[in-house]
Amino acid sequence: MMRPRASVLWLGVLVAVAAVLPLVSGAFAIDIFIRVLLFAFIGVAWNLMGGYAKQLSLGHAAYFGLGAYTSTLLEINHGVSPWIGMFAGGLVAALASLPIGALCFRLRGPYFAIATIATAQVLMLLFLKFRDFAWGAEGTTLPNLGDAPLMMQFDGKAPYYYIALALLASGLGITRLIERSWMGYYLVAVGEDEDAAEAVGVNATRIKRHVYLISAFLTGLAGTFYVQYIYFIDPNTAFSFNVSVEAALVSIVGGIGTLWGPVLGTVLLEATSAMLQSWLGSLGGVQLTLYSLILIAVILWRPAGLLGVLTEAWDRIVHARAARVREVPLDG
Amino acid sequence: MAEALVVHNLSKRFGGLRAVQGLSFSVDEGETVALIGPNGAGKTTSFNLITGHHRPDAGSITAFGRELVGLRPHDICAHGLARTFQVARPFGRMTVLANVMTGAFLRNKKMDVARTRAREAIDQVGLSAKEHVPARDLTTIDQRRLEMARALATEPRVLLLDEVMAGLNPAEIDQAVALVGKLSKLGLTIVIVEHVMRAIMAVARHIVVLDHGQKIAEGDPDTVVANEEVVRAYLGTGYVHAPVGGGSAC
Repeated sequence: MMRPRASVLWLGVLVAVAAVLPLVSGAFAIDIFIRVLLFAFIGVAWNLMGGYAKQLSLGHAAYFGLGAYTSTLLEINHGVSPWIGMFAGGLVAALASLPIGALCFRLRGPYFAIATIATAQVLMLLFLKFRDFAWGAEGTTLPNLGDAPLMMQFDGKAPYYYIALALLASGLGITRLIERSWMGYYLVAVGEDEDAAEAVGVNATRIKRHVYLISAFLTGLAGTFYVQYIYFIDPNTAFSFNVSVEAALVSIVGGIGTLWGPVLGTVLLEATSAMLQSWLGSLGGVQLTLYSLILIAVILWRPAGLLGVLTEAWDRIVHARAARVREVPLDG
Repeated sequence: MAEALVVHNLSKRFGGLRAVQGLSFSVDEGETVALIGPNGAGKTTSFNLITGHHRPDAGSITAFGRELVGLRPHDICAHGLARTFQVARPFGRMTVLANVMTGAFLRNKKMDVARTRAREAIDQVGLSAKEHVPARDLTTIDQRRLEMARALATEPRVLLLDEVMAGLNPAEIDQAVALVGKLSKLGLTIVIVEHVMRAIMAVARHIVVLDHGQKIAEGDPDTVVANEEVVRAYLGTGYVHAPVGGGSAC
């Protein structure tokens, strides 16, 4: 286990590196960093639900898309700044999580996962069909306002980078607060054994509903940011199944139910993906095959995720004396 | 004395199987009552009905004057009835302390209050030395202790123990009996499902005997073990009672 002072030091170094990174990187690299930060953030949001409480959602694209559409509709139809639209989007996503949760929480395990996939797909179909409401299948581009910070538009990529960094930092902060409170204990207890948790007074339905609300809110913020970054929205992008899968994948690879798991997972997956793309991209499809094989290998051999591997190794090196396995969470 | 728990005419079917049929019994406050009977007699089902994990087809369950049928398990726990499971179900990834704190949060959401309360409960069951061990690494008896501590941390008025002594060796059974006795002295009402007869004889003041989902006898321990039907259905004709610590009956 890291002593508090050591972990504060590491955090300081990390923040410093993250803050300086865009100043010394080219536009192409910054673009990759922004994607890493964004997906790490979505992973962190997913992890609250899927990691700590082990409710395997594969439908977080629903909240991503709702966030994206809410801010875009507000901006284009009413001229509302996406800064406000982003929080409106988060709220819409959070509200939507209530009926969706009420439906899906009746189901457990794989059935829950399938039900969540369906909710995202249904939303995508609704946005495809109802053209008058939100541009249908064609989607729309955002008006280019040039350098307009108040409308969340910037000339360079660096501001986007810092916004994504702030989102990720807030997601991690919220996760840590939850992890260190009764909520974290309740979530892990529900994830471990829902009936046993109920038996010691945990209202499993309520705690799942609450954390789903937070998770959906954060994912909605990510949706707004993404649209602002790529200047384009259509149902296939906003409610993309890839978003749902990526959110789950980065957490699973990095280590579900851990604070830093989704961040580590995203860095590794994005780096692997980018490298494979540049080495083997010309061979058409080979890089995707290899990428999938790496994923399969991780899930087969290290289901606890890479963070689990690293913490074990760390414990072995640094704390060989204390035979305590550091697991986040939860110790009292 | 006031009645802590009253079960009236309780019935539950699973498909064609009548797991519990017309079961009635009551438990006075501060009393220790044992439910005994052969496997499949409906003891664990009765527990699941009382604690809300299953919903009865008919009958009522009242605890301290409140109807429990229809309440969710967490409500029933909040009302003061805490249970252990026949097969221990610890939160494996969490340490002993974290497991028990999860129970303690029911009464107080503050970390340090819950931690203090959890440590008391862990101390009561004698697990203090293993506070930071992940629950999945505990031995069977320690997992049972953990479940008891977790239940105690919810500050129950009634404790329902489902075969906490199964699989324990004679010395461990003596420890468990002493623990149940200690909890009873603290004023807890205890309902215990158990097969270890010498433990039951030591802790229970009142015994309810089930067979095929029905109550076939009840009364004080000496009356019950002398009952012919109980001997036929459960104890076996060779049964001779031996006191705790004094022998190897069962």
